[in-house]
Amino acid sequence: MATTLTPPDTDDTSVPPADLPPGLERNAEKAESRRGFLIGLPAYAYLVLFFAIPLAIVVVYSFATRSPSGLTVLADWNLRSYVRLTDSLVLAITWRSLWIATFTTVVSLVVAYPFAYYLATRPPRTRAILLVLVMIPFWSNFLVRTFAWRLLLSSDGPVTRILEFVGFANPRLLFTPTAVIIGLVYGYLPFMILPLYASLERMDHSLVEAARDLYATGWEAFRKVTWPLSKPGVIAGSILVFIPSFGAYVTPEVLGGTGTTMLGSYIGRQFVGTASDWPFGSSLSVAILFVMMIAAMFYFRSGGKDL
Amino acid sequence: MSEMTEVTTTGQTAAPAPTETPAVSLHAVTKRFPGGKGSEPVVAVDHIDLGIIDGEFFSLLGPSGCGKTTTLRMIAGFEYPSAGSIRIFDEEVGLKPPNKRPVNTVFQSYALFPHMTVAQNIAFGLEMKDVGRDEIQRRVAEVIDLVQLEGRENRKPKQLSGGQQQRVALARALVNRPKVLLLDEPLGALDLKLRQAMQIELKQMQEKVGITFVYVTHDQEEALTMSDRIAVMDSGNLLQVGSPEEIYDHPRTRFVADFIGETNLLEATVVDRRTAELGDGTPVRLDSDAATGTAVTLAVRPEKLGLVRADAERNHDLDAVHGTVDRVTFMGNAIAYHVTIEGGRIPFGIEIRQGNAPGIEHFAVGDEVRVRWAPSSASVLED
Repeated sequence: MATTLTPPDTDDTSVPPADLPPGLERNAEKAESRRGFLIGLPAYAYLVLFFAIPLAIVVVYSFATRSPSGLTVLADWNLRSYVRLTDSLVLAITWRSLWIATFTTVVSLVVAYPFAYYLATRPPRTRAILLVLVMIPFWSNFLVRTFAWRLLLSSDGPVTRILEFVGFANPRLLFTPTAVIIGLVYGYLPFMILPLYASLERMDHSLVEAARDLYATGWEAFRKVTWPLSKPGVIAGSILVFIPSFGAYVTPEVLGGTGTTMLGSYIGRQFVGTASDWPFGSSLSVAILFVMMIAAMFYFRSGGKDL
Repeated sequence: MSEMTEVTTTGQTAAPAPTETPAVSLHAVTKRFPGGKGSEPVVAVDHIDLGIIDGEFFSLLGPSGCGKTTTLRMIAGFEYPSAGSIRIFDEEVGLKPPNKRPVNTVFQSYALFPHMTVAQNIAFGLEMKDVGRDEIQRRVAEVIDLVQLEGRENRKPKQLSGGQQQRVALARALVNRPKVLLLDEPLGALDLKLRQAMQIELKQMQEKVGITFVYVTHDQEEALTMSDRIAVMDSGNLLQVGSPEEIYDHPRTRFVADFIGETNLLEATVVDRRTAELGDGTPVRLDSDAATGTAVTLAVRPEKLGLVRADAERNHDLDAVHGTVDRVTFMGNAIAYHVTIEGGRIPFGIEIRQGNAPGIEHFAVGDEVRVRWAPSSASVLED
């Protein structure tokens, strides 16, 4: 460094040769950030137009009033829709959505974990094939696939027949919470498999060997090493399954019955169905969004960062 | 200890009866891995017999893919042998899982548990064995002291340097007081200086704890400096087992001579039991029971060769051959000469390494010289 120092200034007009005029550097940085903004612009524009603005409209509507004829009056702003969130019917539906989503998440985890482990320990070629197989359902329409389940689960469908054959008397699946959970697990299983696979695949297999070498049984090695190290995948997968299950609309509509209304359907009914209460539907949506945001923040604060 | 040869490779003479129970003994151990679709299985370890003496520092040395790591993994229990028997202190362990074997491993990648602290890593084995809390604490502290990691007990592996991680891996294995410690190229990831320091430290530690070390390496210098005995492996076979001196001074095959250090291979023809002739007709002394006319190869290390002027007085204790210096390479601590031997059917070159001490005569390209060596420095190779 010392050799690059310029001699003491004897001439005020001299500029050290290495230094650019300060403005130039700042301009270059500005241009750089402008370019970055331009690259991001299409996505920005799309999100603002189709996400932020509609969301703002929903928030605004949640404070509006429903006229007796079922139309929304954008006047007389009030909190009545939010007060209604504590209605016993709303609480019951929320509770049902919660436990169905929780159950779906747990079942998905139990089903997906062994598969993800199997996937992560296959040779690369087999892995690629299996991953494609996991993705294949996405290539066909979700609604169609859900209706297919309706056939499978119907009272003379194969699943019911098999259950009868095994000895269940009069099994009734369709239009029950069980059917909804089956449908949700089916729909969201890949969202559990993929993050689990990613975290297991990243794990150094010699860690398991080290645990076994240090007298751990296979189960102990899993519990002490594999499981804790795959936790980021477990958490990510659980969030990815829980959130859409909690707000599910199509699956409970198609496979559920009157007794299995979930929040998604209930909100939908406020907009397109008989209820026609847009302010209430909006307040429900805002409340769910708020709760989910809190949950996500909690996740990123705690587990998200140190893993 | 180094004189004992309880170890043979297949097809060689049987070993003398061991005087004590070997720490590890492999008998006719073979490991085959399934090949790709429709191809033959790959034989990683081919029918090897090996006895490792209790308390020795034993190295498995060879190039990558020679089967040394597979051999170690079979002793650890990460691979099961396709055939043969593996005994640890006379207990058959060949098909036991790793957690049922009285050995511990230091992994090449260290394999430290990233979600545990140094102390938790080290305590892992003891916890799995249900050792009491107080004893775990005492033994962990003891071994942390041994590997000089005081004050770092609560760090995570990521917060340690490579050398420190290496010590944690060592401590985590040693704390269990295994009967045999298996080390899979544990110094491979360290830079040269640290590696050399750790070589000495590992050797001292091994002497201190008195545990049998089985050490896998592809670095011949590492094996020579640390080991009591070395087994040289190539393509699944055990080529030679012996002390570093035996392996270096008396390699038995071309591969061993070439893999460990540098060597000159001289082709000769047997004249009688005590003499042979080099390509140019120079007689050399050897010890061979091969028939007259048999072609043999002699291996002589460059630093065992002396160089004198062609007209220097003959020393009849040494074998010598005439030649011309055709290359001189200054190496700092030594000078390497390449000498071409003319005459006979084919000219051949010899590499000579002279120490760079004062008083040693220097030669220039074109000098007529005599290359000479003690007959005992030349080994007759088996292949």
